[in-house]
This record gives sequence, structure tokens and C-alpha cells, in this order.
Amino acid sequence: MPKYAMVIDQRRCVACMACVVACKKENEVPPEQFRTRVVESTEGTYPLLRMELRSELCNHCDNPPCVYNCPTGASYKRKEDGLVLLRKNRCVGCKSCLAACPYDARYINEEKGYADKCTFCEHRIKEGKEPACVATCIGKSRIFGDLDDPRSNVSRALRENHHEVLLESAGTKPRVYYVKKFSKPE
Amino acid sequence: MTKSISRRSFLKISGATTVGLSVAATLPDKFLLWAEEQGMVKPTYTATLCEICFWKCGVMAKSLNGRVVKLEGNPNHPGARGRLCARGNGGTGLLYDPDRLRSPMIRTGARGDGQYRKASWDEALNLVAEKLAAIKKQHGPESVALFTHGTPTDHFLPLLSAFGSPNVGMPSFAQCRGPRDVGLELTFGETIGSPERLDMANSKVIVLLGSHLGENMHNSQVQDFTEAIGKGAKFIVVDPRFSIAAGKAAHWLPIRPATDMALVLTWINVIIAEGLYDRDYIGRYAEGFAELAKAVEKYTPEWAEKETDIPAAQILETARLMGKNAPSVCIHPGRHATWYGDDVQRTRSLGILMALLGSWGRPGGAFFATNASFPKMEAKPFPESRETLNGGGFPFAGAEGVTQAIRSSTIDGKPYPIKAWIVTGTNLMKSIPNQKETLEAINKLDFLVAVDVMPFDTVMLADVILPECSYLERHDALAVGKGKSLTVSLRQPVIEPRYESKPGWWIAKELGTRLGLAEYFPWKTYEDKIKSQCQHWGVDYEQLKKLGTITIADTAAPFITASNPPVFKTKSGKIELYSGELKEKGFDPVPQYTQHQRPKGGEFRLIYGRHAVHTFSRTTNNPELHELCPENVVWVNAGIAKEMGLADGNYVTLVNQDGARSNPIKAKVTERIREDCVYMIHGFGTKSKALKKAFQKGADDQGLVTRYAVDPICGGTGMRVNFVRINKEFIDA
Amino acid sequence: MELTITGANAMTSPHLHVWDWRVSLYLFLGGLSAGLAIMTSILHVRKGGKLAEGDRAAITAPIYVPVILTIGMLFIFMDLERKLNVFWFYLTVQPLSPMSWGSWGLLVFYPVSILFALATLPAPNRRYLLIPALIRWSEKLQRFKLQLAALNFGMGIFIGVYTGVLLSSFVARPLWNSAILPVLFLTSAMSAGAAFMIMIAQQKKAKLFFTKVDIWLVLAEMVMLPLFFYGQYTSSGAHRESIMPFFTFNHDYFWYGIGMLLLLIVLPIALVMKYLEVHEDHGEELTPVALMKMNVSALMVLAGGLIIRLSFVYAGQLSHLS
Ligand SMILES: Nc1nc2c(c(=O)[nH]1)N[C@H]1C(S)=C(S)[C@@H](COP(=O)(O)OP(=O)(O)OC[C@H]3O[C@@H](n4cnc5c(=O)[nH]c(N)nc54)[C@H](O)[C@@H]3O)O[C@H]1N2
Ligand SMILES: Nc1nc2c(c(=O)[nH]1)N[C@H]1C(S)=C(S)[C@@H](COP(=O)(O)OP(=O)(O)OC[C@H]3O[C@@H](n4cnc5c(=O)[nH]c(N)nc54)[C@H](O)[C@@H]3O)O[C@H]1N2
Ligand code: SF4
Ligand code: SF4
Ligand code: SF4
Ligand code: SF4
Ligand code: SF4
Ligand SMILES: [Mo]
Repeated sequence: MPKYAMVIDQRRCVACMACVVACKKENEVPPEQFRTRVVESTEGTYPLLRMELRSELCNHCDNPPCVYNCPTGASYKRKEDGLVLLRKNRCVGCKSCLAACPYDARYINEEKGYADKCTFCEHRIKEGKEPACVATCIGKSRIFGDLDDPRSNVSRALRENHHEVLLESAGTKPRVYYVKKFSKPE
Repeated sequence: MTKSISRRSFLKISGATTVGLSVAATLPDKFLLWAEEQGMVKPTYTATLCEICFWKCGVMAKSLNGRVVKLEGNPNHPGARGRLCARGNGGTGLLYDPDRLRSPMIRTGARGDGQYRKASWDEALNLVAEKLAAIKKQHGPESVALFTHGTPTDHFLPLLSAFGSPNVGMPSFAQCRGPRDVGLELTFGETIGSPERLDMANSKVIVLLGSHLGENMHNSQVQDFTEAIGKGAKFIVVDPRFSIAAGKAAHWLPIRPATDMALVLTWINVIIAEGLYDRDYIGRYAEGFAELAKAVEKYTPEWAEKETDIPAAQILETARLMGKNAPSVCIHPGRHATWYGDDVQRTRSLGILMALLGSWGRPGGAFFATNASFPKMEAKPFPESRETLNGGGFPFAGAEGVTQAIRSSTIDGKPYPIKAWIVTGTNLMKSIPNQKETLEAINKLDFLVAVDVMPFDTVMLADVILPECSYLERHDALAVGKGKSLTVSLRQPVIEPRYESKPGWWIAKELGTRLGLAEYFPWKTYEDKIKSQCQHWGVDYEQLKKLGTITIADTAAPFITASNPPVFKTKSGKIELYSGELKEKGFDPVPQYTQHQRPKGGEFRLIYGRHAVHTFSRTTNNPELHELCPENVVWVNAGIAKEMGLADGNYVTLVNQDGARSNPIKAKVTERIREDCVYMIHGFGTKSKALKKAFQKGADDQGLVTRYAVDPICGGTGMRVNFVRINKEFIDA
Repeated sequence: MELTITGANAMTSPHLHVWDWRVSLYLFLGGLSAGLAIMTSILHVRKGGKLAEGDRAAITAPIYVPVILTIGMLFIFMDLERKLNVFWFYLTVQPLSPMSWGSWGLLVFYPVSILFALATLPAPNRRYLLIPALIRWSEKLQRFKLQLAALNFGMGIFIGVYTGVLLSSFVARPLWNSAILPVLFLTSAMSAGAAFMIMIAQQKKAKLFFTKVDIWLVLAEMVMLPLFFYGQYTSSGAHRESIMPFFTFNHDYFWYGIGMLLLLIVLPIALVMKYLEVHEDHGEELTPVALMKMNVSALMVLAGGLIIRLSFVYAGQLSHLS
């Protein structure tokens, strides 16, 4: 039983947005809507500056408030692999899940009305492919794989590097991990 | 390929790619869409090449029911390695852009007012041929000039040559790589190529001057860049702006714009003075070391600190960092090199630095192109022509032509008149400096024909517009890659051309036929031509169709080894630290620094660059990319903004030293730029109303580049020599 | 810090925009019907039913409950993006989703409130029911009036609390994510119910009784609001940030400031008016002036309830973690 997760190596991200566009095309996301985004933030004053680039998407939380708050069971966490998915035909579009997600990972699909979000490209992993954003990631900043497999890229990346999750204190237990620094002091 | 039914309902079912699907395509749309959602329709993949920029990455195009739904990177292609950048991913936005040119058009109103009528291909082609023939008769064939960029060149340059004119201009020379290529050629006898042959992935230290990798999104180059990050390489990024690359750097040197040469020459001096250079390499392969050492003696870190605004200690430290890690140091020679008019010399100083570090031909530095090539094919030789204007009188101008020299001749008729322009694949109004001159030249023309996919500004000045189909709907010339290995890649149509657009090869051939030049187009379709080429080269065409790219095995010899000694095609056969050739033509044989004009009080130097999701102007109307960056902003230093009472998001207009005024543009108030310059993304502020998304969005940097500094060595137009004032606009964001 | 986000959704960025006045009205009307259910139950039980005697409100109030609830539900229905799928609410139980147990709760509340309305219908009015079966039911239910009142009271509390829990369950929205919110919403719902009752009651004794009740409820509300803000202020940074719209007087937060000011004016004035009403010697019959004052103070309480729902729904969406 795989336990899918993503590791985002922020050092290697160049804010190229390839992931953003690839995701939209792969998943037919309507215009002006997105399943993934890139945050570019700079701290400091000239010339002492520090930049952080961070791509964000649904965290496929192990403790998913969006699922807890869904009144119809449309949103659910799949037992086999931990993906947080949507039964589209059940969704009433009440937007509770949008309000519940601390990561603003969801949107109402303008064309279909349901509360859409990243699926970890479930349809692609089924075919043995990587998620679209991972497959095109120019910086190889996005790494995808099975946490239960110690030899997978994600397991290795987590073993070798200090990593964090977003808003850890929210208690959502994300499955998207962020690597910011080298593990070894330079 | 079956006939497309795309005209009926392009979005849902256009030209189907297999016979089975074409039957299906006659069923109602609804059913097909349903079937698609149920996963009953299997997608087909077609290998082809991207043309959203000139990196020409290999693409696997996924289509469903004859609709191109997604573009993915071709794993076989060295430029893509299975990945596409945001622009490549958004390529279908061009294919399905509702504002595309749909049919040939003939101008009915005054030039520039956008009045056209539809015409049939026959009528339009006949008119063009008639006009060109008349001009040839009256003024000679050389009075027709071609401006071109990208793959259309492969069809229209032969047409021009067959017609008898030598006059071609590509912005890729005098507005882009020209000075760099000339500078490196003068130093090493060859240039760095495009894609640049940099072994960045294995470098320990990478030095970027300007080169804003990450924003400059040349696919495999950025992959190498991030590979280097992953391996822990150190970056020295010299840029007046805290670029994405600067954000990754161990050393960000926020240099005073226009003083890069002072920095590089000082680095050279330090590296020589401290003995950090590769003695063996220099001794073996270079000449002119003594002259070099003497000529750079005066460039001390203390002096450079005053010029460049970079602390002397940091100059020393970075020089030592390079020296210590030589030869595994990648000095990026830049690509868009036309900055200040002394750009050949700047690139030469970078070349010299590479040589001193011994990184040319070494792992982690620059590698050599394969020596292998495909056998030449017999072709009908082109007629002799009059002397070309391409060189513009510059001693080291290249074959891609000096665009603005052709423009000048068009205006003043010297040394002979230019009466017609064929413009394809380039948006001259945006790409070459001083729009007034470009307009003046166009107004002097008897005839202007544009071959393009989209109604960009220059197209909308043409007498006749011929709609080329997009790169996803056509064959083009085989792309031969000379990177580490010899490769050949194929562009082939994924779907049939939409509307009445036609491939460039067809347009060129039809025009050729009408001009009595049919013998130069001795094939029926371009695919026939490609097939026979493949046969001649011993490449399996069917295999190529399937794979998209074929790499010829055992053709790589990237680095200097005992059995692979370097060849320098310079006059001396060595790396020329001191250039006799330049000396002969009256230029500095060793680069020397000259100070450039600085902004006066209240003025800022206008600098510009790229956005990761756009290619110049050409993607500004692409729906997939427009939504990520609909307009450009002008970067203003936060301290300056505070003084001016300017808040982030306020609209401003920029007025340059000659009174040229920009569109209103949003201010990005930021710590990420020096106080003495402002920055914007190139390519915005389109004036063509036919571009519904891009029209008047953002400001046009080229509109403010009324002045340019011409490089006397090669004719490159330095475009960062304009100064602007910032006017607050009271428009609420 | 300079921030550029590429690929953000307008619906969640720069802040959440999922719910608007429709949801506010739903919460308000849901709360009002819940509060009214509580008050009708009290009316019918108080003094062994003596308070209700001879007052038309004893008949109308129980009927208003399902009617107001229905209007409220219409608003939430209007807010659903895929209305045809509403039946899914009732094909599943999602124990962790307040909206799920709320919708099941409403499913119980409806019949209870209708049964209670039937049970409290006096014999002479039963003929208006027209359908013989209903009339029979009404007769039979008479006997269970007390039990039904208790049930109705209980469901009223449940729904009143639910309108607050619906918001407070969102860990992602610090303004909402407070345990005080459900209690505040319940109190506000009850005071709105009492105010409504004051307006529809005819007799002096009922009006004054509910005025007294309302005084305590408004007072409780006025204690709870500052407590809520204090709690937020002394909690995490995100919680502290979340109440800023109410206390930052600038262009962006203009309406929140106004809402806060209105609450600061409306509730105390209503309270004072009510206090005076209770202490005034009204004589046998209420004068038209006294009646008007009572209605005005009741309306003020209702307005206060609406302002709370509107401002909390909107301001909550401005708040976020981190
Ligand atoms: N996304 C995207 N990528 C592209 C393209 C595109 O259109 N879009 N175009 C491609 C092409 S054809 C080219 S030529 C390249 C161009 O890309 P580059 O060769 O990287 O262009 P530059 O002009 O070197 O880089 C612009 C940077 O130079 C900095 N700069 C400005 N003035 C100075 C100065 O005086 N000194 C120094 N050191 N830095 C300065 C600016 O702040 C900016 O960061 O990009 C290629 N890649
Ligand atoms: N001010 C300023 N000037 C610059 C630059 C800058 O940064 N600032 N950059 C310089 C550089 S580095 C370069 S390389 C040049 C680039 O200059 P250009 O190549 O002229 O760039 P674009 O503005 O993208 O114009 C491309 C034109 O080609 C058309 N086109 C796109 N695809 C096709 C096709 O498949 N077939 C045909 N027939 N037409 C097509 C587009 O619709 C558009 O009209 O600009 C240079 N000029
Ligand atoms: S990130 Fe948001 S949408 Fe995704 S599982 Fe977590 S709470 Fe749900
Ligand atoms: S919008 Fe859909 S998925 Fe989200 S909570 Fe409501 S029913 Fe569930
Ligand atoms: S995993 Fe798939 S759905 Fe999720 S962000 Fe990546 S491409 Fe989009
Ligand atoms: S594709 Fe990769 S490198 Fe590019 S923005 Fe996305 S995560 Fe960053
Ligand atoms: S770098 Fe991007 S736009 Fe350029 S050819 Fe490659 S994929 Fe296309
Ligand atoms: Mo370029």
C-alpha cells in the first residue's frame, strides 16, 4: 500500500511556472483558476536580501479539515494511498471545504461547480507516470513518490534533508514537505 | 492525416489524427466529450518541436479527438529532457488563440490604421509576386529585404536568395547575440553556440553577468543551472537587480549598470596578479598573455569599487573563489549581449577570463561541439547578387545581418534603395530600437508583406498579411543539433492547419513558383524534402517520426584530452588574449574600460529583461500565459519610491531623455533593485487592437529606447543607454 | 516582506470569498427561528401556560418558526453551486461536519416545530387547517404539548448553537475558530427570538416578560462580545490579527468599523430602552408610544443580530492562519 507524498526542494525552484501551466493543461483547469501556485517572497532591505521560492498545492493532509467539514462525503481521504480526493457527483458546492482548508488549496471549478483541487494527478500515477507538475518541473524541485518505500526519491530526500511542512501548528499533518536548507552545515 | 473538420467546432472536435477517430469525429460532439471523460478515447502522442522560443525543445503533443490537449517534453530531446518550460507548456494557447490570423488579408485603409479585407490565397500570393517582380524589374532584386527570426528563416531565406537579394536581417544578431558571438570568435575562433555549450551542471562556481537564468527560461540551460544548485555550486551573480538567480547566489554583486567591464578587467588583473590562472593551459593554448597582464594592471579593486559600486574586498573574494575552483568555473558569456555599445569587448573580457581559468574545453566550463556533421546535399546554387547591406559597414558583422543597417538604407536609399520588406517571425516594432526610424523606413517602402501567425504591431503595418499556421500544424526544416553529440529533430504537424492558415514552406514555395523560381523548390511537399534528406543522411525517417529526435551515437568529444586537443580557429590558431585582428581594424586589442554616461538627478537608467512565462512580445496574447502575467510592471527602488511618495501598485508613466512617454505602467516598489535604474519586462504595450488580450497592456520598453549605442566592431545596438523620469499617474489600481 | 504569488485563485486570494450575505442571512434567520422556537416553548410552558393565554402570539409564534427557517434555508440553497445535488446531504452522515449534522438537525427541527405548532393551535382555530387529518393530529398532539415544547426548546438550542459551530469549526479561519462563537451566536439567536416575540405578542404581560428575558440576553451578548475579542486578542498572532478589521479604521475595513460602531450604539441603547420599558408604569394598556418604543428596541436587537452575522461571516474570511 503506497503512501504518496511530495517533497519540494525549494533550493532548486526557479519560479518558472512550468508546473502551474502543466497542471492546468493536464487537468483542464478553467481559465484564471489554479491547482498549484508559486510564491516568491523576499525579505530584507537592499542590498541584504533573502529570497524564498515556494510552490504550493494541496497537502493531501493526513488530518484533512476539508474532508472533516464536507457535509456530503464528496471530499474523502482514500484509504489505500492517502490521497485526498473528490467524488464530483456528490459535491453540492457548499464551499465548506474551501473555508476549512488552511492552505487555500481549493477552488470552485467555474465550469462544473464542484470544489476542485489538486489530486496528485491520481489518473497519472495510476498509469505509472509522475504528476504533471513533477514531470515538467524544470528545477526538479518537485519530487513525488511513496513514503513507505525507503528507496523512493521522497524517502531519500526526507532522510537526507531537514524538512518542514506548511502551518504545522494547524495540525493537518501535510504530505507535502518542504526542503529549505542543506542538511549538512556547509 | 484526414481532412480536418475543425472549422465546425474546433474546440471539441477538430482534425482527427487516425482513421478510426475520423469516423468517431462525425458523431455528435456531446457523445465524444462524454466518451472522452469516460476515458474511452485514447490520446495520441505526436513528436514535434516547440517554437515558443528558439531553444526548440522536443515536444510530445497529446491529442484527443483531434484536439491538442497538452504538450509534454520529449525525453529524447537534449533541449527538453522530458520537460517543457511554462511557455512550452502553454503552446496550445497559440494554437487556439481566437485572435490568430485566419486568412490572407490585403490592406484597404491607410498604413497603420488596421483596415484590411480578406483575400483568397491566390489573390494575395499573386499580388505579392506581382509587386516583388515589379520592384525587382525597376530597382533590382537586392531592393527587396527580408527580416526574419526563427524557423520561417528556413523557408524565406532560400526564397530571398533565389530571388537574388542578399539583404537579410535578424534581430538575433544586432539586438541579441551578435557582440557575444563576435567577441568569443575573436578570442577562441568560435562562438559558444545556441544552445550555449556550457557544462554548468558540473561547475563548482558559476558566474552570471546579467544572465538572469530562471527568468531567462531556456529549458535545458535552466535545468543545468538547477542541477548545479543541487550539487552545491557557488554562484556569483552580477546584476543591478536581485534576480531569481541572485536569490540563489553566494555572492550577489549589485553592480552599477554599464560598468561590468571594469569588474571583469579587475577580476582578470587580480587573477593574474595573484597567480590564480592556469599557467599550463595559458602557456599551451593562448597568446598575448604579457600584453594582457600589462593592459589590465591599472584595474585595481580599489579603482573598480569606485566605478562599479562593489566593495573591493568582495571583488577580491570572488576573484579568488573563481581562481580556487578553476577550471571548473562557468563564466556565462551572456546571450542578450547588446547593452552599451562596447559589448564585443565586454564579451571578450569574459572570454579572456574563461581562458585564464582554463575553463574553455574543460568539465564545468564550456564544452566543444561535436565535430560530426551530416553530408551536404546537392542543391541548385543561388544566383550571384550585388554586395550586401547586411554588414552595415561594420568590420565584424555576421551573416544574420545588421537589422538597423537595412533600415537606414531603406530610409536614405544609400548605397542603393530598398523598396520592399518581407517580414516573418519577427516583430520589428518591438525588437529593434528607435520605433520612429522603423516607422519612417516602413513608410518609405513600396511594399511590405508580413508572414506571421498573430496580428502583432509590425504585421498590422503590412500591405499584405499572409497567415502562417502555428508550429503545431506544420513541417519545418530538420533541426540539426550540434551540442555534445550530433542530433536531428523533426517538426511535424500535430493537427491540420486551422482556418485558412498555411505552413511557411507552402507560402514560400507558392511565392517562388509565382516568381518563376520553382526550380528552387523541387519537392512537392516539405515532408518529401525531409524524407529525401533523411535518406541522404542515413537517418531512419519512420524512427524519427516516432521519436522526434535521433542522437547519432559516438559523436561527442566535449573536453580537452590528450587525444582530443583543442582547435582554435583564430588567426594565430591560439586563444587570442591579445587580438591582432582588432588592432588591425583600429580597436583595442585587449579590452579597455570606458565610462558610460550616468543618469542625472531624477533620472533612472532603463533596463529590461525577461519574464519566465513570456517570450518577448510573442506570448503576450497567449491566453494560457497572459493570465499568469497580463502586464509588466516597472521596478522602482523602495527608498526612491518613498521619497517620491510612490506606493506599490500605483500607476506611473515613464518619460525618457528624448521626451518619449510610455503607457501607464504599475510600479513595483521593491528592495530588489538599485536606486539608479528602473527595470521592466520587454515585450508589452502592444498597439495592435487585433490582439484583444494584450492590447495596451503594460508598457513597451522599446518605445523608450529611442537612443542606442552602436558597437563599432559588429553593429550591435546597445539598448540600455536610455534614461527615464517617473511621473505619477492618478489612476487607481 | 515582498510577496508575489502566481497562480492564486480569486476565490481564496488575497483572502477567502466563498460566502456572502446569503450565508449571513441563512445564519441570521436560522438563529432567529431557533431563538423563536425557544421563546415559544417558554411562552407555552411559563406559569403552566398562563402567559400564553389569550395572546395571538401563542398561535403565530410556533408557525413563524418553520416559516422563518424555510426562508433561511432558501438563502443557503441559493448559495450552493450544484443545487441538483442537495439530496446528498441526506444520503450520508458526516459526523465531523457541522453542516452535515446541521442539515440532519434541521430535518428533525422542522417536524418538531410543525408538530409543536399543531399542538399549540387552540381548538377554535383548527378549522383553518382544512385537512381533516391535520385537524385530528392537532387534537391528538394537544396532549403532548409539554413534551413537544421541551423538544422544541432543545432543538432551538441545537440549531442556535449549530449556526455558530458551523463557523467555529474552521481551524483555518481564526476569527471563527473560537469556542465562544457558538455560545455568542446562541445568545444572539435567543435575544433575536425574544425581540421577535415582543413584536408579535399582543398582551402587556407577555411583552414585558420577554422584554425582561431580552434584557438578560442582550446583557449576556454584551459581555460575550468583549470577552470574545479579548480571547482572540490574547490568543495566537493569527487570532489577534483576525479581529483587526473591527478596530482598524481605514479604507479597506471601513464597513467592519461601521458594524462595530453600530453594535456599540444599538445594543446599549436597546438595553437602556428595555430597562426603562420594564420600569415604566404602563397602566392597564400599553400606549401607542410605549408600543412603538418596544418595537424599536426589539428591531434594534434584531439589527444587532444581523450585523453580527454579516460582519462575522465577512470578517472571518479575511482572517487566515500564519
Ligand atoms: N522566458 C524567456 N526566456 C528567454 C527569452 C524570453 O523571451 N523569455 N528570450 C531568450 C533570448 S533570445 C535571450 S537573448 C535571452 C536573454 O536573456 P539574458 O541573456 O539573460 O539577458 P540579459 O540582458 O543578460 O539579462 C537581463 C538581466 O540583466 C540585468 N542587467 C541590466 N543591466 C545590467 C548591467 O548593466 N549589468 C549587469 N551585470 N546586468 C544588467 C537585468 O537586471 C536583468 O536581470 O533570454 C532567452 N530566454
Ligand atoms: N527593447 C528591447 N528590444 C529587444 C530585446 C529586449 O529585451 N528589449 N530583446 C532582443 C532579443 S534578445 C531578441 S532575440 C529579439 C527578438 O525579437 P523577435 O523575434 O522579433 O521577438 P517577438 O517580439 O517575439 O516577435 C516575434 C514575432 O514572430 C511571430 N511568430 C511567432 N511564431 C511564429 C511562427 O511560427 N511563424 C511566423 N511566421 N511568425 C511567428 C510573432 O507573432 C511575432 O510577431 O528582440 C530584441 N530586441
Ligand atoms: S491542503 Fe487543504 S484541501 Fe488539501 S487535504 Fe489539506 S485541508 Fe484538504
Ligand atoms: S463544496 Fe463539495 S466537496 Fe466541498 S464541502 Fe461542500 S460538498 Fe464537500
Ligand atoms: S499533482 Fe497534478 S493536480 Fe496536483 S498540482 Fe501537480 S499537476 Fe496539479
Ligand atoms: S516547475 Fe519546478 S522549478 Fe519551476 S516553478 Fe514549478 S516547482 Fe519551481
Ligand atoms: S525553452 Fe520553453 S519555449 Fe523555448 S522551446 Fe523550450 S519549451 Fe519551448
Ligand atoms: Mo535573443
